[in-house]
Amino acid sequence: MRTSIISILLLAAVAAGAFLINSCSKMTKPETVLLQVKDDPTVSFRIWFKVGSQNDPAGKEGLAALTAAMMTEGATRNNSYEEILEKLYPMAAGYGASVDKEMTIIYGRTHKDNLDAYYQLFRDAILAPAFNEDDFRRLKSEALNYLEKTLRYSSDEELGKAGLYNMIFKGTPYGHVETGTVEGLNAITLEDVKNFYAAHFTRNSVVVGLGGGFDNALVDRVTSDMRTLPDVPYEEVPVSKPKYDGQNEVLIIEKDAAATAISFGFPIDVHRGSKDFYALWIANSWFGEHRNSSSHLYQVLREARGMNYGDYSYIEAFPNGGRRQMPPTNVARRQQIFEVWIRPVPNEMRHFAFRAAVRELQKLVENGLTEEQFELTRKFLRKYVLHFAPTTMDRLGYAIDDVFYNIGESHLAKFRRMMEELTLEDVNTAIRKYLHFQGLKVVFVTKDAERLFDQLQSNEPSPIEYTSPKPDDVLREDEEIMHYEIMIPPHMIHIVPVEKMFQK
Amino acid sequence: MRRQTCSFVLAAVIMLGFTGMNEAVSQGIFPYKYSVVTLENGLKAYLIPTQNPGLVAYYSIVRTGSRDEWEPGHSGFAHFFEHMMFRGTKTYPGPVYDRLVTEMGADANAYTTDDYTAYHLKFAREDLERVMELESDRFQNLFYEEPEFITEAGAVYGEFRKGRTNPWWVLFESIQNTAFDVHTYKHTTIGFEADIKAMPTMYEYSKSFFRRYYRPENVVLLIAGDIDIEATKSLVEKYYADWKPGYVAPQIPVEPEQKGERKVEVKYDGKTLPIVAISYKSPAFDPDNKLAVAGYLIENLAFGETSDIYKKLVLQEQKVQVLGASFDKNRDPGLWSIYAMVKDKADIPYVLGEIDKAVEKMRNAPVEARRLNDLKSRLKYGFLMNLDTPGKVAGNLARYVALTGGIEAVDRLFATYEKVTPADVQNAARTYLVKDHRTVATLKGRD
Repeated sequence: MRTSIISILLLAAVAAGAFLINSCSKMTKPETVLLQVKDDPTVSFRIWFKVGSQNDPAGKEGLAALTAAMMTEGATRNNSYEEILEKLYPMAAGYGASVDKEMTIIYGRTHKDNLDAYYQLFRDAILAPAFNEDDFRRLKSEALNYLEKTLRYSSDEELGKAGLYNMIFKGTPYGHVETGTVEGLNAITLEDVKNFYAAHFTRNSVVVGLGGGFDNALVDRVTSDMRTLPDVPYEEVPVSKPKYDGQNEVLIIEKDAAATAISFGFPIDVHRGSKDFYALWIANSWFGEHRNSSSHLYQVLREARGMNYGDYSYIEAFPNGGRRQMPPTNVARRQQIFEVWIRPVPNEMRHFAFRAAVRELQKLVENGLTEEQFELTRKFLRKYVLHFAPTTMDRLGYAIDDVFYNIGESHLAKFRRMMEELTLEDVNTAIRKYLHFQGLKVVFVTKDAERLFDQLQSNEPSPIEYTSPKPDDVLREDEEIMHYEIMIPPHMIHIVPVEKMFQK
Repeated sequence: MRRQTCSFVLAAVIMLGFTGMNEAVSQGIFPYKYSVVTLENGLKAYLIPTQNPGLVAYYSIVRTGSRDEWEPGHSGFAHFFEHMMFRGTKTYPGPVYDRLVTEMGADANAYTTDDYTAYHLKFAREDLERVMELESDRFQNLFYEEPEFITEAGAVYGEFRKGRTNPWWVLFESIQNTAFDVHTYKHTTIGFEADIKAMPTMYEYSKSFFRRYYRPENVVLLIAGDIDIEATKSLVEKYYADWKPGYVAPQIPVEPEQKGERKVEVKYDGKTLPIVAISYKSPAFDPDNKLAVAGYLIENLAFGETSDIYKKLVLQEQKVQVLGASFDKNRDPGLWSIYAMVKDKADIPYVLGEIDKAVEKMRNAPVEARRLNDLKSRLKYGFLMNLDTPGKVAGNLARYVALTGGIEAVDRLFATYEKVTPADVQNAARTYLVKDHRTVATLKGRD
């Protein structure tokens, strides 16, 4: 039983999330995160269960995601899935689940006009899933198709990023994509789903998040409903600590790719809420702000050399980066990585692009930011944070993450405060403390893997040719890049045909 | 058509040398009060105050997209040009523009579609004048040298390469190429690969493209969020009034009537479940044309998640993983497509047959009135629930602005939806879902 309520009231006058936090003492209802927004004609639900793909049993990888899909994309005991779709249809409303390593969110949003009818359906998805055989067959087939077709063949960028996470967290509960593995999914039975639901979707693992134009009666109703979930003790999974050997290691995913996607990174032990985290955020924003032309990597690879569409870096998980501009919520993790994403480059430039990116990382680690770079980036972030959570649903997501990370004043408020308080020295200290340019885990998605193997292990020069004249300073720098040494012993370069990815 | 009427009114305004501002209270679905500023040079700006303290969204809609790439060998140019617009001016060269936008902490980007190109920034209220200064400057005084132009072509080719791994992308590229003979909808927005490869040689052409299309009478501003109407109007006049008109309309060939069904087999160089698509020739967008508006509703009534075919193929028989339809709104007659991702290639003929049956059902009998009413309700709530940030307000209006020149079309479209009867939907199906006017495509990957 939860013993506290965190009630958060959004002040309508402060758009980007100034919150009042009230803690109450002994309560018997589930923990709640409440964002009341005056005049919002809609109500947003985010019901957080403290379970994720890290809870998948060995050999049944994908069970958490499949269970959540069965709850939100299948029948309930009161309605067939067809009936649910019929009832939601005129409301233009829906609900769904997002499953990450540590969190599952059952989310939905409706216009207030339809609240009662909507909530009946939403509640049933959580409290009364039917777990029908037909739904199971359909959803399992969709998950398998995602791994076997979509992830392996339809998006080399997502493939590369998934490969990087699997590589870094190999052997830990984080070591597989949330959808699972092919063999894991094939092994899952409907009985497994029912048992997983009973064990993990409990009154002791739930946090109720409500946002928008709701009233206290709805809070009472939802929390009372969630109390009817089974009273099973919540057991925390140990943190996924990857083994770190300090050596560079490369995975080449071989496929007949027209261009080469590259991702690399390493684990970092820093989280929201700590001063170092915000200092590192400034450094990372300067180095590789997501989909922003002002970032340094973007300037070096795309702007000066026209090699690809974009180049970014991250200090927190950022799934589906190709489809979103702002950071996601509710992918909170106790173990994060620093990650560089090089969007597809021509195959003949892959070695050069990799060298150029690592060389820039080395310069960042050794030189830190200048005063000018620090001030410009800080100025940018002070206002850019306004765009992180423009909607009630976004702000509710952040408020839930604040509970995960145990941040009292809220991440967004602290972010803004830190942009005022941090110094250049804070940032450069954080860079030296958390970032490095050796001991990288690297993934290439490319063809002709043997040739890349030879290039990497021999450190042979990687000259680059352009179709347009380039300034002398770029050409001089190219000379250095093409000879830049990255030591990777042959036994640390692995070639895996794409058909074997995500198999087990 | 209403679009022609709008153009006529605009021409009259220009002849009189009139700068006007009209305040409008929507009588229809659009929930915000707004003002329209029209400058002598033809530029229109919609000013839409919303309840989002501190935030503003600023959209510059250029009513030029890949549709306007009528000259052979220049497909993909509107999109390429969108990239060049970030190269700056003599006053604010690219790096300076980037720096100023960075200092503002703006969320800035752009996108190109078949019918328009949109440049958008979201930023803090106090930066409105600086944004307007920068945006009006680059739209009037863009400047770049040939080497930068050639370098940017590399980035565009990179974008092409990243999209190429998606089977849906490959399928619709092939469908457009097959369905159209002469109209520019024959190519996708990114363009034909051969044309993209040749882009580095087209520096001079790019300047002509800018001169012809980036003109005030071809651009509409949408400014939504925490704004003061009077102050914003003054800024529009201050920064855009000197922009010289000179739009040259593209010579887009008219697509002749299709006479006979077309078929295309598409090979995808990867593994994927097979995908089938049936694309019918569709009417141009006109919010007052009840028959065409009724046609848009078929997308959802016949192929949405509550349709009979969805229940049968996706939920019950589970032969299909994805089923849907996309009855797009386009400036010229385009395509309305129905698509399905099939789990077993042996079922492809069966699935195509079931889609045909669903189409026949729409043609042969009126839909249930209850289902039509449910859909009207869904459209209304769907629209209203997606206007909760300035960015969403402007973003959701952008296509209507591009197709008609203004946002008034939204109210008119939803008013027409309300008038549509089951018999109208049936008539639309009979009129537009015609076998001789369709292209059937089947995509298969490697075994």
